[in-house]
Amino acid sequence: MSSENDSLGYKLRAYFGIGYEGEDAIDQRLTDLKRAKTIGRILSLAAAVGFLYLFSQALGQVGFSIDEIVRYWPAFSEAMGGFFPTTTYLGIPFLDFGAYWSFISNPPGYDHPLWDYAVTTLAMSFAGTALGFPLALLFGILGSERVTPFPFNFIFRGVMSTIRAIPALVWALIFIPLGGLSPFTATLAIGTDTIGNMGRLFTDELEEIEEGPIEGISSTGANRPQTVVFGMLSQVYTSFIAWALYIFEINTRVAVTMGLIGGGGLGAVLSAERRFYNPTNIMATILVVLVLVITVEMISQRIRAYLRGDWEPMSTAELFLGFPRRMTESLWR
Amino acid sequence: MGSIRVENLSKSYGNVDALKDVSFELDEGEFAVLLGVSGAGKSTLLRCLNGLASPTEGAIYIDDERITGPRDDVAMVFQQHNLITQLSAYENALTGALGRTSSLRSVMRWHNRQEKLEAVRALDTVGLLDDASKKVRQMSGGQQQRVGIARALVQNPATMLADEPVASLDPASAETVMAYLRQAAMERNITSIVSLHQVNIAREFGERFIGLRDGELIFDGGIDDLTIDVIDEIYGNVSTDAIRRGRDPEEAHV
Repeated sequence: MSSENDSLGYKLRAYFGIGYEGEDAIDQRLTDLKRAKTIGRILSLAAAVGFLYLFSQALGQVGFSIDEIVRYWPAFSEAMGGFFPTTTYLGIPFLDFGAYWSFISNPPGYDHPLWDYAVTTLAMSFAGTALGFPLALLFGILGSERVTPFPFNFIFRGVMSTIRAIPALVWALIFIPLGGLSPFTATLAIGTDTIGNMGRLFTDELEEIEEGPIEGISSTGANRPQTVVFGMLSQVYTSFIAWALYIFEINTRVAVTMGLIGGGGLGAVLSAERRFYNPTNIMATILVVLVLVITVEMISQRIRAYLRGDWEPMSTAELFLGFPRRMTESLWR
Repeated sequence: MGSIRVENLSKSYGNVDALKDVSFELDEGEFAVLLGVSGAGKSTLLRCLNGLASPTEGAIYIDDERITGPRDDVAMVFQQHNLITQLSAYENALTGALGRTSSLRSVMRWHNRQEKLEAVRALDTVGLLDDASKKVRQMSGGQQQRVGIARALVQNPATMLADEPVASLDPASAETVMAYLRQAAMERNITSIVSLHQVNIAREFGERFIGLRDGELIFDGGIDDLTIDVIDEIYGNVSTDAIRRGRDPEEAHV
């Protein structure tokens, strides 16, 4: 008996909890737990193998090849040299911000400095978000099961899903006959896209409201529309504004890509400079995109933090000057 | 105004009988306390009285008018106050006027001066005049429940129903809230039914008592009739002896 218990096979069976009878009730329970864990590990392993298979298939499908990266690396780094022009101050090489700045402030061949194009991009995003908002609100509210009874709310959910299924760029292609290749078409596309995305967030938000206040309002003898507006919407209106701002952030990025297909704004500058292959100018435009998108995000996130109620008053000076200290603190802990 | 008549009321949820043939009458301005353990049918009775639930059998009449749904002259105070915590005390009190306001006017927040004055006056009645602009979520439990009472008062109710209004409050806040509720009902001559499970608070504030057990009305009378035996009957033979003996926990669990 003892020689059998000392054998490696017996120990392994006991360790994995398979093919092993417990010696008493406690040991039996432990064996069950071990067996469950072993099965869990086998399933995780199978999932990992499946994932790696799909990943390698996907890489094959897109023709991903390390060889090409190695072969074309010199060409790529030469191009990068164009993106990051250098100059020398006092004999030390520096990134040539002057080259960027001269394109940003006075781009040859354009009527306006680059920030005017940034304003166009921002206007497309803002107007599109504002145009989409009312319909997103309507469809989002009517799509909620709390407001519209079960089968009928799917009419509105279905419309929003269909809109979402078509990317904003494709909406722009659809609207070209309406407004031509212009910021106007891009704005229409962003507005349409907003209905699907924002409306969906509104519907989800409405699913999570509390029942109590709704009952409270209906107990006062309020009618159905009043119950919806006071019992439901007043619970969510700050989160609706916060979600609208979040969509505005996303739409600002979408507005840049709209320019690439001719929608105007910074994207159009990027597209033109790509055709003439002026890497320095492309990089200068990307810098303006970065400043625009990050500014919009920072402003939007501070408003959203305020709406959520976890607002910490912090002056703009503190925001920048206090950054090294906050960074150090977060690394220290 | 506000007399209540309950006739042979029964209410079932599936095959669970929450109320069985309950009948009683309340005169205008009476302040009744509804007693019973959890699950005795107190909430169901109040929800039927308010019209939030409809009776399976029998009927309820307020001022000889049959109840078919929520009415603006029947106000309700909830255990979890059911306020909109994102709004201020004043805005919540104003929602009490919704029942007599047209949809368009209320949605656009065009309340007339009369309604606004009533909201402020109701907040004064519950001692919250200075906190009118405070958001409800920033208030204490007792203050929140007083806003709930203010909303009920803005309805100008003839009848006020309160479902365990102080059950989730500490004893001191519970006393305060009950005192405001009692005083408001008396000043405005509102017929009231308040369900409570704390016997001491019930005895302190009630003038009429209705006892429910397993959905049946087993007691209806004044404070003098509410003897220890009656209370024992309402609350069942909850034998605490075992637990008291229960320095020996094995025995207490039996």
